[in-house]
Amino acid sequence: MPRAQIACRCLLAGLAACSSIHAQPLVARLVNDHLRVAAPQLRFLTGKVLERLHNGAPVAIVFQLSLTPEGSLTATARDIARFVVSYDLWEEKFSVTGLSRPPGSASHLSAEAAQAWCIDALSLPVAGLAESRPFSLKLEGRVEEPTEEAGQEGEGGISLARLVELFSRRARGQQERWTAQAGPIRLADLRKSSRRAR
Amino acid sequence: MKRLCFAIWLLPAVLWATHERQPKPNVNSRYTVEAVEVSGIAEAKLSRPLREDLQRMIGNKFDQERVDDLIKRMRGELPGRPIFAKLRRGTQPEHVKVLIVVARHEIGFKIAASNPMYHSKQGWSGKAEISSEIPDKGNNLFRFGVLSNADDLLERYVGLTAGYERRAIGTDKVRLKFDFETYHQIWNRTTLLELARAPEVPGIYRTRQNFQPMLSVLPARGLTLSLGTSFQRFQTQFPAARTEAANALVTTLRYDRQLEDSVANRHRLEAGYTLRAATRTLSSDFVYASHTWEFRYLLGRGRNRLENHFGAGVLTGRAPLFERFSLGNSYTLRGWNKFDVAPLGGNRTAHNELEYRYRWFRVFYDTGAVWNRGQSPSAKHSGGIGLGIHGFTIALAFPIKDGRAEPVFMAGLNF
Repeated sequence: MPRAQIACRCLLAGLAACSSIHAQPLVARLVNDHLRVAAPQLRFLTGKVLERLHNGAPVAIVFQLSLTPEGSLTATARDIARFVVSYDLWEEKFSVTGLSRPPGSASHLSAEAAQAWCIDALSLPVAGLAESRPFSLKLEGRVEEPTEEAGQEGEGGISLARLVELFSRRARGQQERWTAQAGPIRLADLRKSSRRAR
Repeated sequence: MKRLCFAIWLLPAVLWATHERQPKPNVNSRYTVEAVEVSGIAEAKLSRPLREDLQRMIGNKFDQERVDDLIKRMRGELPGRPIFAKLRRGTQPEHVKVLIVVARHEIGFKIAASNPMYHSKQGWSGKAEISSEIPDKGNNLFRFGVLSNADDLLERYVGLTAGYERRAIGTDKVRLKFDFETYHQIWNRTTLLELARAPEVPGIYRTRQNFQPMLSVLPARGLTLSLGTSFQRFQTQFPAARTEAANALVTTLRYDRQLEDSVANRHRLEAGYTLRAATRTLSSDFVYASHTWEFRYLLGRGRNRLENHFGAGVLTGRAPLFERFSLGNSYTLRGWNKFDVAPLGGNRTAHNELEYRYRWFRVFYDTGAVWNRGQSPSAKHSGGIGLGIHGFTIALAFPIKDGRAEPVFMAGLNF
């Protein structure tokens, strides 16, 4: 086998391994003709995010749930929601406010409950989706950059230094982000399992 | 289909943009602020209104938006410093402490453009500089830059600069700086023609290098005394190509204070004296002494700003062209062309610039004279208007004189 081909396969294997490390499993369910998901292994209130919360700062998180039918390269349905999580310094509990539609909030939550609350707020309608056509679901989340990193505002106004700073901000790929995936799934299978659950 | 794809791509951005303006709810907003502390700098470095606004949070419910706004203002007063807030439990129940942390500069490279500008009589000038700051006890700073400047001197000098600065030697009141510059010169035709008629003025040169070690001492608040030497070598072109040196002792005394009075007027006072004395002791081919004085006063009240700058200089002995004084650039006698005022410069100068700004609008009036010893000075005047938004300024300046007056257009950053 030529060396270039071996190297290419190794690279692909490496990439596949990396993606499998980051993508957590997603569990889908059907509720009133809407797909809802849960990601029991996904932990996003950890590390630097948790440190910011413990410092009393609110953290804004954006989630996107997308549905891609098998054979299609682009998602045919998606739901985007933004949440602000904060940590009560005295009660040592989390509070979540959903800023997208419909706005809502929950307080006195544990870290796990706060995480679940955010993900549970996402849903996709199944109207128009063929019962037997397999599809995959992808949940992506990322943290908004904190205000202090969003730009240096000084009296100097626009300057080359500022422009360089702007373009040298952490790329999206380096920001805190998470992925969870599920699929291929069939709507018919989900209906069966939801009937069994009842 | 393409439109649909584009809309799908655009949607997150639109959502993002619309949500950016929403304040972030914080569950700690129900607690009362017990104390506000600033760490990383002396609080006195912040303006009085800002200090007062920080303290005004005490006794009120914690307000995330207010804290974000105060941090934004702090960044304006401490450019380049990372600033963030931490919230801690207070000593009393249901109370919190706000800790505002001003961090040190991070290690890294910064690219800065200092005062890039266009002058309709001189063309473009500007400097791009890469600097790296290594924060430690001494705060080391390395700089490397490229520049082309037709604004400051009678020559356009194009070349490279490099420097090292140690901002604390034992104490942060003693600093050491080494600067190296190497330039190639381009001369204006008027200067060349005038030189032929003035044999007492040293000739032009095509390259110039300068090495300047300086030691600065800060004996009192706002006061800086710098001592050093400037070793300049330049290659003359006429009557024969040869290398000459102008090695000088350099002494600078500067005073810079910002004050605020009881009615929130901002005052800034800057004064400086510089002596450059070239002597045979330092193996200099030129022997001269250059004295320059500067005084600047700035009064700010709300969006109004009044600024006056006065400068004067005396040059004794025989000095190369780069030491001679000239007026008529982007900051002195604006509106005049320096090659019309004095194409060879002079060894005496006095000038004043008065400027009033309201928000982005500015109007200025300049006056000044440059002459040689034994001549009587002839004062020239100019005026102009400009607009400055976020550091970018455009200005139109007119020489005040009889006959046809051609305005000068200037545009650039922070000039």
